[in-house]
Amino acid sequence: MGFSVTTLIFAMVGLIASLSTRICFNKGPSANLLHLTLVMTATVCCWMMWAIVYLAQMNPLIVPILSEGE
Amino acid sequence: MEERNSSATMDLLRSETMQLVQLIIPIESAHRTISYLGDLGLFQFNDLNTDKSPFQRTYAAQIKRCGEMARKLRFFREQMSKTGFLPSGRYDMSTDINLDVLEMNLGVYEAELTEMNTNNEKLQRAYSELLEYKLVLQKAGEFFHSAQSKAVSQPRDIDEYRVGDRSMDSPLLLEQEMSTDLSSHVKLGSVSGLVPREKSMAFEKILFRATRGNVFLKQAVVEDSVTDPVSGEKAEKNVFVVFYSGERAKSKILKICDAFGANRYPFTDDVGKQFQMITEVSAKLSELKTTIDVGQMHRGNLLQTIGYDFEKWNLLVKKEKSIYHVLNMLSIDVTKKCLVAEGWCPVFATNQIQSVLDRAIFDSNSQVGVIFQVLHTEEPPPTFFRTNKVTSAFQEIVDAYGVAKYQEANPGVYTIVTFPFLFAVMFGDWGHGICLFLATLYFIVKEKKLSGQKLGDILDMTFGGRYVILMMSIFSIYTGLIYNEFFSVPFELFGRSAYDCRDSTCSEAYTIGLIKVRDTYPFGLDPKWHGTRSELPFLNSLKMKMSILLGVAQMNLGILLSYYNAKFFRNEINIWYQFIPQMIFLNSLFGYLSLLIIVKWCTGSQADLYHVMIYMFLSPTDDLGDNQLFIGQKYLQILLLLLALVAVPWMLFPKPLLLKKQHEERHRGQSYTQLYNMDESAELESKSKGSHGHGDFEFSEIFVHQLIHTIEFVLGAVSNTASYLRLWALSLAHSELSSVFYEKVLLLAWGFNNIIVLAIGVIVFIFATVGVLLIMETLSAFLHALRLHWVEFQNKFYEGDGYKFYPFSFALISEDEE
Repeated sequence: MGFSVTTLIFAMVGLIASLSTRICFNKGPSANLLHLTLVMTATVCCWMMWAIVYLAQMNPLIVPILSEGE
Repeated sequence: MEERNSSATMDLLRSETMQLVQLIIPIESAHRTISYLGDLGLFQFNDLNTDKSPFQRTYAAQIKRCGEMARKLRFFREQMSKTGFLPSGRYDMSTDINLDVLEMNLGVYEAELTEMNTNNEKLQRAYSELLEYKLVLQKAGEFFHSAQSKAVSQPRDIDEYRVGDRSMDSPLLLEQEMSTDLSSHVKLGSVSGLVPREKSMAFEKILFRATRGNVFLKQAVVEDSVTDPVSGEKAEKNVFVVFYSGERAKSKILKICDAFGANRYPFTDDVGKQFQMITEVSAKLSELKTTIDVGQMHRGNLLQTIGYDFEKWNLLVKKEKSIYHVLNMLSIDVTKKCLVAEGWCPVFATNQIQSVLDRAIFDSNSQVGVIFQVLHTEEPPPTFFRTNKVTSAFQEIVDAYGVAKYQEANPGVYTIVTFPFLFAVMFGDWGHGICLFLATLYFIVKEKKLSGQKLGDILDMTFGGRYVILMMSIFSIYTGLIYNEFFSVPFELFGRSAYDCRDSTCSEAYTIGLIKVRDTYPFGLDPKWHGTRSELPFLNSLKMKMSILLGVAQMNLGILLSYYNAKFFRNEINIWYQFIPQMIFLNSLFGYLSLLIIVKWCTGSQADLYHVMIYMFLSPTDDLGDNQLFIGQKYLQILLLLLALVAVPWMLFPKPLLLKKQHEERHRGQSYTQLYNMDESAELESKSKGSHGHGDFEFSEIFVHQLIHTIEFVLGAVSNTASYLRLWALSLAHSELSSVFYEKVLLLAWGFNNIIVLAIGVIVFIFATVGVLLIMETLSAFLHALRLHWVEFQNKFYEGDGYKFYPFSFALISEDEE
């Protein structure tokens, strides 16, 4: 599963989460905007963290060297 | 986040619009109006009588009354807790009590209670005295018996002593005296009583010294501790009898007894009378006991009756006191027929307040209604955010640093997500995350029950922050899955690891290492890394770069929020001469560094980023050589360096000059109209003390302010970015601690193959995990995430010099008191 596919998955999950928040917690336009912002921020944060860890491992400069006793 | 039209504003982003309102209330409905407004809880009263002392105010007498009633209630509570009663928590608000009736009742109860207490005290004192007397009678009776028998056998002994070579000091003298006195019935006085045991030796010594050894003292220990009638406490005592002759000796002995706090009781030689006395005293004792018991029961009943209504009365008195405090803040109109109130209320609450006022007028059968008038003022309004039980904890975290200025962007909106996220970056372990989640789930499930109870200080804070901790634990589970740590143990949950041996013999795995044979591990850190020799260099590099990337992202968000603030307050200067140069400066240096990090990761180049960044400044025109990551890098670097250098004076010089020009334009326009607007401008000046008055503009001050701001930003760009490295440091500490506990405790205990050692190992592991990792590390990561928000994020845009909206509300008052 490449980088772009998983990014797409994150985007889909974010979209579904915002839709379900809109359905479950519909409390007027200003509250909805707040919920949308929170879900977007959470999605972006989680995606960033995943992307950083993934990119760092794509072309590694160091490889695991097992230690004695493994 | 975006304000395309004013109706689509976001809930928590800016303070609710507030208005300054003036209420003119007729006097007969004043009390009721304030009471109803207190129930509503959306109006903050301004004190209109600041120049009057508390004693000069109109309702000072009423407050004194309430204070008296509160004192009586405190007295009742004290008495109830002494007796071990607890006031019953439930109270029915159905029956409305009049304040005057309550005052009278409280007075009656207090008088009864104090009377009962004094009577009880007197009876107790008499009881202990009689008890002591009985002891004296019993013990001293024994003395006399033994003393008499000794005295009879004296003559024989004395002869023996005279003959034998015995020590001839005071005992001989005493016994001689004793024998002569008893056998010849010379006037011998006796003093008997009880003396505290710890003082008995000193008592004896001083008696001997004072009377030059001419007394005979006999002491006997009382086994049980006796209640001293004077002090009311239990003490260890000895019964003593002192025999003396002569008036001088008597007065000395009496004085010494008083000095030592020894209680004296009369004693007779006559055996028959002794017996009579003992029976009398016993009878009196049992009588007193019954009287005391009845008294206690009576008192208990009284306290119980008080206890039923105690909470209700307490609440009522508190309410009344607060109402009178508010009434004191209102100013009385000249005609003495109405009160003028001034205060802040949110605009959305206007209808609610007006309906409350109408209801109060109706209920108090007043002829005149309340006048509700909106005033216009230059004063800054208080800041009010409408939070629910989830967002209030986050808002409190932000407010702890500084309350937002009226209508500036509230960092609380983003804090709700980024604070738990940064916590989780430092805490990342999904095993620990699950433990935290379960613990906080318990708090949330038992929410209703626990919110009424009174928990200890620490539990109270944890309970108040339960939603924060819930978010923190959910994000921790996520980052734990990414770091692939379950109590420091990695799992292959998302597919196969990317690394494998170079060949089938795996001979070089311990020297050169594995190679990447498959696609990158799809979610998180490859499980093969754990326990390897090169784990730390890889992880350190990864986490440091991650911290920089997250830090640059959050700081950019902060600067972006300052743009939205400037747009909202229509401050063009801030947009062009602060926001843009700040963005350019930060991104041309640290945004570029982030770009380099990502390019290096994508291409797998071996470029040394330290080298690149440092030589970008030192010798920008040099060829990059091996450190080249993409074509045209050298020219891009020169361009970015020039942009950053230009951005600094761009931030520094234009803004003060433009502000000066603005002020001059305003001032120039006003000088013509100042003549007939003098009264108004004088009034405005006196009201708005904080704003720039006319002629108050000091160019040097503004310039220095801007200089400090620029230097802070420029230096802060470096130091704040480096500060984000604490994300790396704490996450490293957490994973190292967790792996130490796992390997050195659990695995070690497992290796012994002994069930007892294993059990001990498990217990130590659990305690270490809970104490160090779940409590200490949580607090530590919480603190550091908080610091990152308060300093590095908020100093890009937050002013935080507002004041909080604190409405007059009975709910808030009852929270306050507790």
